[in-house]
Amino acid sequence: MTAKQPIDGERKKRDSSFSLFFQRNNLYKIIGLIVIFIFFLLPVLRLIWLSFVNDGSVTMQYYTEVLREPATWKTVKNTLIVVGGSTILALVLGILFSWLVAYVQLSGKRAMQLFIFLPFVIPSYITTLAWTQFFSASGPVTAMLSWLPGELAAPNLYSMSGIILLLGISHYPLVYLFTVNVFRKIPRELEEAAATSGLSKQRTFWKVVLPLALPGIASGGLIAFLSNLDNFGIPAFLGTPANIRVLSTYIYEQVVGFGPSAFSRAAVLSVILGLIALLGTVLQWFLLRRSRVNETNRSDSTPRIYLTAGKQKLVEALLWIFLLVTSLMPLITMGALSLISAYGVPFKLENLSLRNYEYVFMTDVKPMSALSNSLQLALFTMIVCLVLGTAMAYLRFKYPDWSTKTAELFMTIPYALPGTVFALCMIFMWLEPVPGWNPNIYGTVWILFIAYVTRFLVLQVRGSYTAFLQIDPSMEEAARTSGAAGWVKWRRILLPLLFPGILSGALLVFLMALTELTVSSLLWSSGSETVGVVIFGYEQAGYSTYSTAFSTVLVLGILLGGALFMLLGKLWDRKVLKNK
Amino acid sequence: MKKFFYGSATVCLVTVLAACGSEESGTDSKAGIAGEGVSGTLDFYTSQPDADAQGLVDAFKAQNPDVNVSIFRSGTEEVVSKIQAENQGGNIQADVLLVADSVTFESFKADDLLLNYKSPETESLDQSFVDPDGTYAGTKIMATGLIVNTNDVTELPTSWTDLTDEPTSGQAVMPSPLYSGAAAYNLGVMTRQDSLGWEFYEALQDNDITITQGNGAVLESVATGEKKYGMIVDFLAARAKNDGSPVELVYPEEGVPVITEPVGILANTENEEASKAFVDFILSEEGQKLASQQGYTPIREGIDAPEGLKTLDEMTILDAEAVELLETRSDDKTKFGKIFGQ
Repeated sequence: MTAKQPIDGERKKRDSSFSLFFQRNNLYKIIGLIVIFIFFLLPVLRLIWLSFVNDGSVTMQYYTEVLREPATWKTVKNTLIVVGGSTILALVLGILFSWLVAYVQLSGKRAMQLFIFLPFVIPSYITTLAWTQFFSASGPVTAMLSWLPGELAAPNLYSMSGIILLLGISHYPLVYLFTVNVFRKIPRELEEAAATSGLSKQRTFWKVVLPLALPGIASGGLIAFLSNLDNFGIPAFLGTPANIRVLSTYIYEQVVGFGPSAFSRAAVLSVILGLIALLGTVLQWFLLRRSRVNETNRSDSTPRIYLTAGKQKLVEALLWIFLLVTSLMPLITMGALSLISAYGVPFKLENLSLRNYEYVFMTDVKPMSALSNSLQLALFTMIVCLVLGTAMAYLRFKYPDWSTKTAELFMTIPYALPGTVFALCMIFMWLEPVPGWNPNIYGTVWILFIAYVTRFLVLQVRGSYTAFLQIDPSMEEAARTSGAAGWVKWRRILLPLLFPGILSGALLVFLMALTELTVSSLLWSSGSETVGVVIFGYEQAGYSTYSTAFSTVLVLGILLGGALFMLLGKLWDRKVLKNK
Repeated sequence: MKKFFYGSATVCLVTVLAACGSEESGTDSKAGIAGEGVSGTLDFYTSQPDADAQGLVDAFKAQNPDVNVSIFRSGTEEVVSKIQAENQGGNIQADVLLVADSVTFESFKADDLLLNYKSPETESLDQSFVDPDGTYAGTKIMATGLIVNTNDVTELPTSWTDLTDEPTSGQAVMPSPLYSGAAAYNLGVMTRQDSLGWEFYEALQDNDITITQGNGAVLESVATGEKKYGMIVDFLAARAKNDGSPVELVYPEEGVPVITEPVGILANTENEEASKAFVDFILSEEGQKLASQQGYTPIREGIDAPEGLKTLDEMTILDAEAVELLETRSDDKTKFGKIFGQ
């Protein structure tokens, strides 16, 4: 049908023993799909089932009801605008940053990377609070604008563009994370060849570099798209005052709307949301059809573009200004809030104390146990996802047929649904998987573990899959002809090549699981409270100063961990890879 | 369970499931021997702040050391969704429920999910806060009043209608009934008052009031001076004032809607004795003194309210029939959404 077909055929032929084994054993495929079906799709289907049932009989009543309401269509339209706009913003920022970091001679790149992650780690209620203060009537933006001539007003964040801006800024790190390694792997020779053939720098970027970076861009873009789609915090905070609803907030309104049809209506809207997610996934497949890799390069961190000293300084300054505003400003706001004794008192020395920290870490026992629970959950989730996700990505890469595509789709859905809805699905499913049989998973820490793995696995699959797409199939063949098989092949050839890509997926899973909020707030139980549950609890009780203190420590801890990690990376470069 | 988790979480999911399925322990519980102390396990679902819920459970356990109470705490909306999902899934885990308002309990009662239990302690309560059928009873009084930023406002408002006057235009904030159950209750009650009615909400919209998600956001907004006036649940404002925030709490002269954080027992409880003992304790003199210490107006007569809050007999209460509010809640929300352009 398309250009992809012969490549697939080629790949299969080259690896005939294994693929024949697989083709003859459709049984394995089916078993695999059934397991994936049970863990990923069945919980969601039990919710969707509710949208078809009324008093025990099958009905389309909820669909006709919901689809007839103008509010539904207005919400869908808002969602498409908000998600489309914020995804484009995330893509532009993410591609720009990853290209600059991968290609251009700049100093302090490692520190830059850390700050790029921040907006993604800082809880969204902090981000929104910091930004609304930044743009408020008494904030710095208004003050700066008042120096300028003319009647300039600070932009209103409580608007469609405000939601798009904050979503885009919160999620561009995802695009960055998936793309930066891909940029580093683009063979220099190709660009040189393009230059020799007379292509200008710009045309080389559009014709050569960007298409080759497509696997990373498509994966990062898809994850950013899904994250924008399921985000609740930002549109709820900024959209409520402006009367802007998107699907995630509208679904939440339905769920908490009491009435007997609350879940059914929420289910109908979830189906619409799922269709939008499906659309994004298919679009991304379509984009990737045309990408193909001919050569395998080790990731190449040395810059390719050298600027004059002055220009370099200018670019660095611009980048740091952006990072300081988008990453450091919310962090400082959060730190400052955590030191004051109560909201609204002036930020003066006599009003500052460590009282909030003292309460969180000395008086209250929950935060420490929550931290320990979340770390364990995040770690085990990361390990399981690392193994299962990479295995899945390998299969998806080797055998891009209906079964692996379907499997990937199943895995995407739990990530696309709003957290509250997904948590409800988990309750339906695991309370009594078979009527009358309660396996005692629900109500223990296991339900959180299963929920995290099912929700975040797709991140690892995308991360690892992107890494696989960077490998020319001939590498594997070469490994085998040289006598490296099985584990040796993986350890000596594949894993070192795949390492950076797989790791960025794992890092993402770890951070997501560590700070997860909406799913945990419905599924935790005594003894298994998580970081998100504690923060949510403080927020709801009106103790925002406590939650900011806890979040500050959490973010600083992540920064510290990140710094250590980068240091290790530096050592790895020097000692193991022997790159100067 | 945690140790178990520790040990085996590295094995793959399938093994994990098998291990879990064969495990015998869990939420099974045995009712205590009637008369002599209660025992067993109790699942307590609540929307009270974490520290308060824990304080309550600790005080109860001091009297009933053989009862093991597990707490699930989340926002009222989340707790209700969780129970409804458990009900859909075929098995409600909660034994005792304590969340925001009577309307929520009326909805559970309508679905026959609550146990009829008239605690002897309810005799000392104002009967308007006790369900005549005995499925639930209020545990404290939480009024919604006005909060004002004292840095910006010198003349305190006295009436709800001050929020609809020209001087407060664009400077007030309220929680959204679409997100907060307590705000939805207020909406139902206030639109049923002759002095306020839907005209009040239409006037609020004309006066450009800002709508936020919940009471916490209202507090942040007014305390930081982003807005000058807000509608808020009283104890949050009183506590912020005690902590030093530049805010003042006002009980408007028309009266205030109150929610009572009722408590009830789920019909399919596995530990009826302990559940009853727990409800008795919450409504007892000791339990009510604890509520007052925690910063809430107690519902039981004769116990003082904490600093900065009014006691029940000092308030004018705006009231409406809970059953009626339940029936019209969905319509009320839709109407609210229309007025505010959603």
